Amino acid sequence: MAAYRADDDYDYLFKLVLIGDSGVGKSNLLSRFAKNEFNLESKSTIGVEFATRSIRVDDKIVKAQIWDTAGQERYRAITSAYYRGAVGALLVYDTSRHVTFENVERWLKELRDHTDQNIVIMLVGNKADLRHLRAVPTEEAKAYAEKENTYFMETSALEALNVETAFTEVLTQIYHVVSRKALDAGNDPSALPKGQTINVGSKDDVSAVKKTTCCSA
Amino acid sequence: MQSGKTLSVRKWRSAFSPEGCLDIGQTLGRIYRGGIHPSIRGEVWEFLLGCFDPKSTYEERKEIRLMRREEYIRLKELCTYMFPLVGSGKFITAPVITEDGTPTQDPIVLLEASHEKLLTPTTQATVGSDSAMSCPKEDDKKIIQWKLTLHQIGLDVVRTDRTLMFYEKQENLSKLWDVLSVYSWFDKEVGYGQGMSDLCSPMIMLLEDEADAFWCFERLMRRLRGNFKCVGNSVGVESQLCNLANVIQVVDPKLHKHLDYLGGGDYLFAFRMLMVLFRRELSFGDSLFLWEMMWALEYDPNLYTLYEEPESDPDRPEDTKVKSKSSRQCGKYEREYIRSGAKNDEPLPISVFLVASVLKEKSVKLLTEAKGLDDVLKILNDTSGNLDARKACSGAMKLHRKYLKKVKLEKPSS
Repeated sequence: MAAYRADDDYDYLFKLVLIGDSGVGKSNLLSRFAKNEFNLESKSTIGVEFATRSIRVDDKIVKAQIWDTAGQERYRAITSAYYRGAVGALLVYDTSRHVTFENVERWLKELRDHTDQNIVIMLVGNKADLRHLRAVPTEEAKAYAEKENTYFMETSALEALNVETAFTEVLTQIYHVVSRKALDAGNDPSALPKGQTINVGSKDDVSAVKKTTCCSA
Repeated sequence: MQSGKTLSVRKWRSAFSPEGCLDIGQTLGRIYRGGIHPSIRGEVWEFLLGCFDPKSTYEERKEIRLMRREEYIRLKELCTYMFPLVGSGKFITAPVITEDGTPTQDPIVLLEASHEKLLTPTTQATVGSDSAMSCPKEDDKKIIQWKLTLHQIGLDVVRTDRTLMFYEKQENLSKLWDVLSVYSWFDKEVGYGQGMSDLCSPMIMLLEDEADAFWCFERLMRRLRGNFKCVGNSVGVESQLCNLANVIQVVDPKLHKHLDYLGGGDYLFAFRMLMVLFRRELSFGDSLFLWEMMWALEYDPNLYTLYEEPESDPDRPEDTKVKSKSSRQCGKYEREYIRSGAKNDEPLPISVFLVASVLKEKSVKLLTEAKGLDDVLKILNDTSGNLDARKACSGAMKLHRKYLKKVKLEKPSS
């Protein structure tokens, strides 16, 4: 695992959102990724919480700012305010509760309504450790992800299975989108002027910010 | 908390007349100076939240309590009839019904409900085709709506205060689930919203009788239900967040401008503090201490009457504010509000000023270090565990005074 770096030492800052039904394990996925912790006594998320972690992609430090939201439907109007500016999303369901997979469609729609079309989405089937309770076959979810053109992975925050890989994959894909955009614009991504904002999509607020003060990698 | 100033068992007992009338005035002062001794917390809360009239006698209260317990039993029986797991000692964490009212055969539900429990007239599922034995789909929207909340309550119950020994007992978990389930039927307009389990959990711990816990929680919800009510795309708490914005604008315009500039003009970052009254920012014990201080400061001796009068609007009890009230029997916050003569304005709950005092406390940090909403959230989350309840309360009182003064100056006519 890459060494943890000082908080403000990064080249790119990407905002991700964690969404999905209540109780699918969003907060534990986040704490597993950000702090390598899993809490059996974790509390429900009220409103919005967030955590950060930096990882290395190619020779760059990418800092992920991950926003964790409440799952109950009645609060969606409030939590979706935090989708603004997100360049990646992990849409989580619980592999042992089929209904949380059925609701993925609604979440996907909401995500597409509130974010830029170029957002990188990964469908995440969490709680894969509950093998005896498996209710959503891997193939079914995989086929759905292909149809919807999203990435897909099964994880277990409890067993630390694929959590690292899932987040890293999303961040790497965003990084590729960003560097491709920069290339399209005729720029070498490593030679961007300091403080330049790279738009992943068309909206101004959907952006991956290249850090202003520090560009040494 | 200074133990010498705590409302002790002896002081509490001596505040009653031989018939049982309570001199609440002297009691309130003790509570907001030093909190309540844990052994009498439940019974004192019942007064603070307006379950009883302090002027009533022991006999009258005994009668009211018995009536309320019977009413709760009736409510719960109805819930058990609609969904037999209520009161069974078990509960669910997966939906038992789809949005159109079709019972689901989720394996987790079957596991949790041990199957046969669910097979009752109202929930009977048809496996495969419609059989002659089964009832038609449920068509009562209210029942469907209610059943759709039950698994959400279960999902939250298993995540509420689980570090406390009390909730190591399955029966206490299901008690919490029962009370919240009955409440969500009792108050259909609000139903159940995440955060309510955090508010209800202390009641279950402090009041041994389940019915008493229910009514104490119900009284707390009279103050807070507006926050949980959803109309269309908005959540009720947004109006309190709006009030918070107004307060900050008055008492610290520079901070408001900065927060607004960062995109936080909606104050959504304070959502959690208002929804669960600082339960996530404070330890369990400290949040109970803060709650009783708040209620003592806000205390209105007419609370009981306001709640019992059927014609009063439960959302805005202040509207029907009863004419004559001895200010000695009021909490300090309430007294200062009355004295300011600002009676034409919608009174603000002390919680708004509590959040304002937390923001004010962090003002310098917010102004110099917050470059985005993420920083705002981070700075405020750092208060987790090191917020001082008493300091926050006196800060809130100070801001309240400042606010009343400034508002009065701006509107001299009122």
